[in-house]
Parts: sequence; C-alpha cells; structure tokens
Amino acid sequence: MLDANVSDERFICLTGKNGSGKTTLLNLISGILTPDEGRITLNSRNITNLPIERRLVSIITPDSCIPHLDVDRHMVWGAKNKGLKVEHDYVTEIKTGLGIYFDGKVRKLSLGMRERVAIATSLISKPELILVDETLSNIDNRRDFIVAFKNFTMKANIDVIFTTQSPEDSSEADHHYQLESGKSTRLF
Amino acid sequence: MNWLKLVAGLSLAILVIPIFFLLYEGFGPLRDPIGYSYEVFRSIELTLISSAIAATVSVALFTPLAYYFARNKNSIGEALSDIPASIPHPIIGVAILVIASPLTPFGKFLLSIGINVFDSVLGLIVALTIVSAPIYINSMQPFFQSMNIAPENYALGLGASKFRTFISVVLPNSGRGILNASLISMSRAMSEFGSIAIIAYYVLQQPFYGVNPAPVLIFQYYTYYGLGPAVTASAVMILVSIVMMILLRLVKH
Repeated sequence: MLDANVSDERFICLTGKNGSGKTTLLNLISGILTPDEGRITLNSRNITNLPIERRLVSIITPDSCIPHLDVDRHMVWGAKNKGLKVEHDYVTEIKTGLGIYFDGKVRKLSLGMRERVAIATSLISKPELILVDETLSNIDNRRDFIVAFKNFTMKANIDVIFTTQSPEDSSEADHHYQLESGKSTRLF
Repeated sequence: MNWLKLVAGLSLAILVIPIFFLLYEGFGPLRDPIGYSYEVFRSIELTLISSAIAATVSVALFTPLAYYFARNKNSIGEALSDIPASIPHPIIGVAILVIASPLTPFGKFLLSIGINVFDSVLGLIVALTIVSAPIYINSMQPFFQSMNIAPENYALGLGASKFRTFISVVLPNSGRGILNASLISMSRAMSEFGSIAIIAYYVLQQPFYGVNPAPVLIFQYYTYYGLGPAVTASAVMILVSIVMMILLRLVKH
C-alpha cells in the first residue's frame, strides 16, 4: 500500500528507508507500474493511463543508458526521438556543466560517468519531469553536480524528483518529502 | 567424490556414448563407401543450407514474438507457439502440403504466381522453419527475460516508441542471445525428418535437383542398402555437424 501525495514543483528530494516505497512511487509516476487506484497529474495533465513514452517523464536509475551508443550520440538520442532540434552549443554547455569530459561507448564507462551521461541525455530531451532513483550517490563531486543539474532543469523548466539515502542531498532541493511505510510527509 | 559431478558425468555419457559409438562403427567395422559418396555430401550440403536459412528466417520472424512473450504474460500464446514442436512432425508436413495445395484458395493463389512448396527448397525451408521456430522462441524468451529492463524503461521515458526501443535498444544488445538461439534452432532443423519426408522427400529444383535432405537419405539408405551405408552416412553427417558447430562457436567468441 502506497499513499503518497507530492504536489510541488521544481527540485524535489524524496528520502526514506529501504522498502519505504520511493522506487515504487517513481515507477508509478513514470508509468512502469500502474496504480490500483488514485490519479497521477503532471502540470494539470492526467497521465495515469498514459504509456511511458507519452508521459514526458524520464526515469533514471543506476542502469539507465543505451549501452551500445557512444557518449555524443547517446546525449542527443532522446531529443532526436522526439524530433527536437538540438543546438550543438547547448549540448556542449551541458557536457561542460555536468562534467562530461570523456567519450567512448557508454557500456564501457564507470557507473558514475554513465549516470552523468544518462542525466544529460534526459535534460537534452526536454521532458516535463525527470525522476532520478538512487543515482546521484554514485557520482563524484556530488554537491557540485547536483547544483549544476538543478540549474539546467530550472533554465529548461523541468521538474525533478530525486530519491536518495543521504539526507544531506536535500540541502539543494526546493522541497523535501519523506516516505515511511508507504506514507509521504512533506518536510519543507 | 563430488556426487553432482559424478551424476553430471553419467548423464553426459548417456547422451554422447551412442554418438561416439556410431562414429566408431560408421568409420570402422561398418564403413561402406556408399555412406561417403558424392550423393551423401550433396544431401548434407542441402540440409546445412536449408537449416541455416530456416534459422535466419526464425530470427527475422520470431525474435519480436519471443520478446513479446518475455515482457507480457501470455500463457495461451506461448502454448500455441509450442504446438509445432509438440505434435508428430509428419502432421506439419501434411498441413503444409494441404495449405499450399490446389485444394485451398491460398494454395491456388501460390501456384498461380509460381510458388510451389512440394519437393522444393522453399517447401523444405518452410517445414524446417515451422518445426525449429518453437525451439528458437523458447531459447530467446529466457534470454530477453534475463535482460536488464532499465535501459528499455529509460528509452521509453525518453519518448522512444516500443518499436524504436526494440530496434534501437533491445536488438543491439541481444547479439549473443540471438546467435545462441539460432544455433540451437539450426541444430534442430538439421535433425528434422518427419515433416520433410512428406513435403520434400527429394528436391526437384536446381541446384539441388534430385537431392534428398540428409536425414531422408540416411533413412533411404537404411531401407534400400541396410545398416552399413546408413551408419557411415550418419557418421559423416555427425562429423560435419560437429565441425560446423565448433566453427560457429569459435566465430561467436
């Protein structure tokens, strides 16, 4: 049983112990799981019954990537799917801002590097919401990365919900929710 | 002594001893020149080529079905896809023969455009594909089930359609699984007898005019000439199959 209500915008941190329902909540929002009852609304759109690919919600977990692509092709893959025009300068800005100074096949990168590329790809594909599930903890210089990531999402008007086991990550969030036994509590 | 190792060794022996015995007899005491004649090598060539094409057709036609079964629970569909493998194979041969005969509108249409499956390479490939495809599907399904689904969900979240996700994310990371499953499927096709004895006892098309598929030829030798030529031809077929499988696995690695 999960009874959560996250009614906020911008950069939202979701914390909770293992098994509290964080991943289940993100899977429900992204469309990987279907709720037995209730409604999921995103920017006034009822997305409860929409398939994943039509929700404009990008979900990132530690295994999220298109393994056989190289970094540059990976970064524009989502945007090209949506038929978006990708400015080279914007891609360079994101690469620099998120510390992507490497290349090669994504499957050969370290976990943290892969996650940087996955998040950059999501940003460039311009969804309405990015869900980041237990991913930030694997990234070096996490604080700087979170600040840069947040700035890019604000500029692109993208909301973010990220889950973390580290409460200190919430310091950069606009809102902080805590999940406990399937119940959500708004901390700020 | 590790009991599991002992049981595994005994189980393996049950499978391979008859094969090695056949190789020994075929190239030793029961060796007969008819068993390694030009006719035998032509029939093995026909069997290898038609089985390889059948496996390729299975990859092209049935990979999406195996993926669908892996991602969606469909017991009825899975049971239906197993039917060709679970019924006596002569029935498959008879079914193809009837469907493609002038008795049915579909058969009339095929014949009107010059497509004949009886005693043809096409009929042989169709039969081999139908009997080996369930093996391919049953090999690919667990492969897809064991694949990490996170990249697929990530791609869908990036706006890719399910088709695009399958083509651009799933397939490029399925090479090893497809190769393994197609080898298993090809092996199954090479050993087929029941359906092809009906649909293509011999082929009446160039470049294989008058050639029998190898399992049919071995049966024919047994009934016409007795054990010696049949055992020798079987040993040659086994040897060629083993060499080919080893080569394909070397290529894979």
